[in-house]
Amino acid sequence: MYPIIVFSVSGLLMLFLGLSVNKKSLLPYNLLFMLVGLASNFLDWNAPGLYFNGMLEISNPIILVQWVLIFAAILVSGISSRQFDDTHAYPAEYYAIMQFALVGALIMVSFQNLLMLFVGLEILSVGLYVLTGSDKRNLRGNEAAIKYFLMGSFATGIFLFGVAMFYGATGSFDISSGNSVANNLLEGKMFFWLGMVFIFIGLLFKISAAPFHFWTADVYQGAPTVFSAFMATIVKTAVIFALFRLAAYSFNLEYENWSKFLVIIIGLSMVIGNVTAVFQTNFKRVLAFSSISQAGFMLLSLIGLGAQSYGNLGFYSLSYALATISAFGVFLVISSNTIVEGRPSENINVFDGLFSRNPDLAIILLISMLSLAGIPLTSGFWSKFFVLNDAAAKGYFWILILGVLMSAVSLYYYFNPIRASFKKTDLGKIEISSLSKYTLYVCAALTILFGIAPNILRSLF
Amino acid sequence: MVSQFGFVLLFMIAGIFLVLLVLGIARILRPSRPNPEKNAIYESGEETEGTAHVSFNLRFYIVALIFILFDVELVLLFPWASVFGDKALFDDTKGVWAIYAGIEMFIFVFVLALGLVYAWKKGHLDWIKPSQEETNFKSPVPKELYKDINEKYA
Repeated sequence: MYPIIVFSVSGLLMLFLGLSVNKKSLLPYNLLFMLVGLASNFLDWNAPGLYFNGMLEISNPIILVQWVLIFAAILVSGISSRQFDDTHAYPAEYYAIMQFALVGALIMVSFQNLLMLFVGLEILSVGLYVLTGSDKRNLRGNEAAIKYFLMGSFATGIFLFGVAMFYGATGSFDISSGNSVANNLLEGKMFFWLGMVFIFIGLLFKISAAPFHFWTADVYQGAPTVFSAFMATIVKTAVIFALFRLAAYSFNLEYENWSKFLVIIIGLSMVIGNVTAVFQTNFKRVLAFSSISQAGFMLLSLIGLGAQSYGNLGFYSLSYALATISAFGVFLVISSNTIVEGRPSENINVFDGLFSRNPDLAIILLISMLSLAGIPLTSGFWSKFFVLNDAAAKGYFWILILGVLMSAVSLYYYFNPIRASFKKTDLGKIEISSLSKYTLYVCAALTILFGIAPNILRSLF
Repeated sequence: MVSQFGFVLLFMIAGIFLVLLVLGIARILRPSRPNPEKNAIYESGEETEGTAHVSFNLRFYIVALIFILFDVELVLLFPWASVFGDKALFDDTKGVWAIYAGIEMFIFVFVLALGLVYAWKKGHLDWIKPSQEETNFKSPVPKELYKDINEKYA
């Protein structure tokens, strides 16, 4: 609960700091605020309960997920160093909006009331619409922002419609009231089912699960790379945990009904995400489609819905965040060193000869790609293993086979940048700011650490 | 028995009916003798010129946004005031209610005021026309030459 207050205040502070402090010293302030937020979460540790008249729930597993979110935000800020130095960038506003968006994400993982979920979703989304279009001189960015805004607003509308139906059926916005309709007649349940489907659709749109994924590639490509990383990690984590809370507390008695519908969505996400990514030449689009397939894998733990699923999902979120942020971070450094037609090149061939230009970056890229593909000894392997294990426990074996098959497909496009980085080249060395270098080191080290000893993290949940 | 939604429907039907009725009566009573002068767009007596599809100065939008900020704030202040002044609640809590609700609204207004301060400090409230700067460019062609040509072919 405390980080929500911290970030609400620090976001405002950040805005006003931008007026008085020089541009380059804003990032340390941002990191400081985020560390304060991270630390303030300790105050809630071992004090589970409902806060704000039953609007938010705080418990240790929820605090862990909030830590994952804030930690991911810190890593994203870390890779953003030197990115906002040009005259048309307003880093104070970007960081402020990032902190506000984080408030939304924190609310979304701890809500107890559906209205709170709506508020969190809107705080998160509105911030992201702005960040997507923050590079005002990039035509693709403008297009992405308007697309994201329009489609996101429709999805929110659909979600809100579902919430209204939920209220109509149960007479309450509290998430635990979903159980009260269990004994109702079919007529009474119709509204509830309608609400359930619409709430699911609204949230599945936000994590870009197929068939609600059409905005993803364009938005990831158009948004500034730092914010694509923010979108890929924080939004996905926040929304998947919101879905998990709903599935576990509101809709658990309807499991038989929604799991059939969800398992099809998972299959579609895996197939569409992985197969389409093979044909992409733009690295940001590759990561966008990879995020669609990863969303499919994350949803597997909703199918599992066992005692371990929450922890599995937390493990998956963190390992995915580490791998994605390091992939975006390496790409960010290289693409801003490779200017084509006045803009940073986003083609996969920017990785050509990376190993000779900067071996550290090449190794980090290798680790992150292996983790995304799910190769053993990286945390990506264990995260996939755990969620597939969850789904297998419920007897969905065909989705298991599909998941493994699609992981094999994903090897092809995850290995493209690796292959490129070992090509011969006569291009010069790549310089990298020390902050983003250490951020990337941390990502890679944690990916390996959790790959060798996953229980360090998993036993916490 | 009419439900709450039934009332809404009745209001909608009554609204549509009333508009049709009034316009219908006017149509029956009024003489219809249109001419070009009458059909012209009324713009406070000015004659209209050009189309309405021109780009407006972006500053209008910023001012409109800041206006909306405080407009919406007022919309929230009215229901708040009616709850704030609730005597029963005040007596029940021995005045703590007033302090609590008052502080809450002060925080709300304060955050909005911060928004105004930010816009002010950023200079969004200054309505200054961009001034045209004289260039230092010295042309080898004397100015009189242009003047002569203009006068010759005027």
